[in-house]
Amino acid sequence: MAPFLDYLIYQLSEAGTVAATVASTLSRRFNYDERSAYLFLMPVMAVLVLVAVFPIFYSLYLSFFDLKLTRPHRVPFVWFDNYLTLFADELFWGSVLRTVYFTLISVTAITVLGLLIALLLNETFRGRRFISAMLLVPWAIPYVANALMWKWIYDSGYGALNGALLQMGFIDKYMVWLGDADKTIPLIANAFIWKEVPLAAILLLVTLKSIPDDLYRAAKVDGATLMRRFIHITLPSLRPGFALVFIFETMIAIRHFDLFFILTEGGPADTSHVLAWEIYVETFRNLSFGTGAALAYIMAIVTFFLAYSIIRTVGKRL
Amino acid sequence: MTKDAITKFGRRKFLKYSGAAGVAGSLSGGLAGQVMAAETIHFSAWSAAVDLVKSHVNAFQKSKGLNVNYSNFPWAQYRETMVTRLVGGAPLDMMWVSDAWLPEWAEAGWIKPVDGFKDLMKYNAEAEKFCTDSMTYNGRQYGLTYYTDFMGFMYDADKLKKAGISSPPKTWDDVTQQCLKIKEAGISEYPLMLALAKESWLIEFMAAMVYSQGGRFTDDKGMGAMDSASEGALKALQWVVDAVHKHKIVSPACVETGELTGLKAFASGNHAFALEPKYRMRHLNDPKQSKIAGNVKQILMPKGDGGSHATVGWMRFHGMSAAAAADKRRAANTAKLIEWFGGKADGEYKFQKYLFTDIGAGFGVKPLFNDLDVQKAYNSYTDVNVIKKQQALARKKDMVTPWFGEWQEVNGSAWQSAILQKASPQEALKKVTNTWNKLKKQA
Repeated sequence: MAPFLDYLIYQLSEAGTVAATVASTLSRRFNYDERSAYLFLMPVMAVLVLVAVFPIFYSLYLSFFDLKLTRPHRVPFVWFDNYLTLFADELFWGSVLRTVYFTLISVTAITVLGLLIALLLNETFRGRRFISAMLLVPWAIPYVANALMWKWIYDSGYGALNGALLQMGFIDKYMVWLGDADKTIPLIANAFIWKEVPLAAILLLVTLKSIPDDLYRAAKVDGATLMRRFIHITLPSLRPGFALVFIFETMIAIRHFDLFFILTEGGPADTSHVLAWEIYVETFRNLSFGTGAALAYIMAIVTFFLAYSIIRTVGKRL
Repeated sequence: MTKDAITKFGRRKFLKYSGAAGVAGSLSGGLAGQVMAAETIHFSAWSAAVDLVKSHVNAFQKSKGLNVNYSNFPWAQYRETMVTRLVGGAPLDMMWVSDAWLPEWAEAGWIKPVDGFKDLMKYNAEAEKFCTDSMTYNGRQYGLTYYTDFMGFMYDADKLKKAGISSPPKTWDDVTQQCLKIKEAGISEYPLMLALAKESWLIEFMAAMVYSQGGRFTDDKGMGAMDSASEGALKALQWVVDAVHKHKIVSPACVETGELTGLKAFASGNHAFALEPKYRMRHLNDPKQSKIAGNVKQILMPKGDGGSHATVGWMRFHGMSAAAAADKRRAANTAKLIEWFGGKADGEYKFQKYLFTDIGAGFGVKPLFNDLDVQKAYNSYTDVNVIKKQQALARKKDMVTPWFGEWQEVNGSAWQSAILQKASPQEALKKVTNTWNKLKKQA
């Protein structure tokens, strides 16, 4: 017992010496206010490191292992095999293409519709405030509730869409919507657009409000038509808003999962099997955490480079 | 204590004794905790029949003098939750297990066979064969039944009568002919309801059709046999594709129709025939929940050319964790709880009977069919004799293996591709078979 106690006391005194050295270095490098600021920031930083930074690096580490939860006794280190297997997989490339398709149609529609609504709300008219408030409703609805609502609307047996179209005489019998492979992604994108347009409209409206009136007045004096004023003043001035909408909506669309989960579970066949769905299936259904982590990293890297290129192009002269 | 006494006792002595008392206290507390923990059976289940389970647990505690720590989790997240708990070493002795997870949980070493307990094995004599088969992996039995059911073929007698059909179908050809007759009479656009959306029910629907057509998914060596024209899944898939595109008796929306949506559609009177889990009969003949209540009848599964009236059965059972099995005393206590739930409690199959009479969940022990309360309950919405006959023809899912989940992702997509005519049934099943054999090789 005694040697252990001696060892413990020795270790504690060593630790005390190290702590004293660190404290003295810190007090020389930072003044009292700086030290206080760092001290106050430390708890938040510690939490961030624990819940954000550590998982990022840990998942990268996991992506180099053939880790399957249902096979806990055999977890070989496989270097880049998980990545290489994915790159050789037809389903992976199919899911990339479907993700790109979904993102393209969603972001384009969100931006165009958001711009139109922002332009409308930028005008002064009776009921503008009410419309602005109503506009926020889809945005305020949680994604899961939104998905369940659209599932009901699209249902081919009792859905509201079929009912409405039949009553208006556009169709003569109930149609198959989500079960029709050609319509699945556009219909999911439609539900996504409905939810995301309000946010885009508000972001663009805020940017519109910041354009000085003088510019429009001067252009009017110079005889510029409404269209020319829109092309030469409004659109260039909206660049920061566009950049924000592009980056934000692209990132959300690429990673979007809820609608795919609730509306189709990746089906019919592989029609709506997008990257986010592939990550879910690999990680939580197949319990293949190694491949799941590799997939998540691929998605993170792609999202990062997309955001970066948007900033470099659209936001160049911000 | 006076100041004098404190002085006499001394600060050092006080610290010494209080320290010793603390150590003794924590040691005894720890030991007591261990003893308590050994006597407490940790039981996890999904959130079904919670009140009934609690009351049965209470009865067990009173009868056996053992504590049970019962926890439950939603079915939708149950597998993931349990895998996390098993990997993390959470205290767990008895748990509900689905037949679909048995191979992977057994391979991972999370659950252990219970066939060493004679008190449990004696119930096999009274259990349906497919139930015992569904709890068996690599020749070892891993539990006792909790609930079982099978896929049933149902029809709306009123619609058949309106179409001038005197007796329900016996074969899949009969189904086609009767559906066409009903369709021509304008009674239903899509007379047969099939729910083939991508969800956990999908394999049950597929397997019921494959087995009744005389097919199977794997051969005797466990290799994929899905693409075999004579004994695989081809006949069943071809029948579905023809039903959707050639005869137009099944809606093309079947690929987006989940089991629950399909049930609602059938209960609303949209279809004349439906493939549904047997326990749905209670719902379908309940006037509060179904427009066709009173008209829904169940018959034996139609058979294909060279097929039989076989259907698929599924099984949920009480399993024992590896941690419990590793400790003799704990294992013995857990076996008692397994018997209390999955076997007889006080000489009766109480839990399975209550589960049936309370929520209509099926049982896997044959003697309960002779119980008058059970017969009365069944006969109030269906014919107990048909149920008994069909249950005896139910088969376990032969494709349930450690790689079943991964394979089913591909299998589900392949069937849907064929139904959407993006691939021929042969091509779709070839892909499914190749995937099966590849995964088997990797395992």
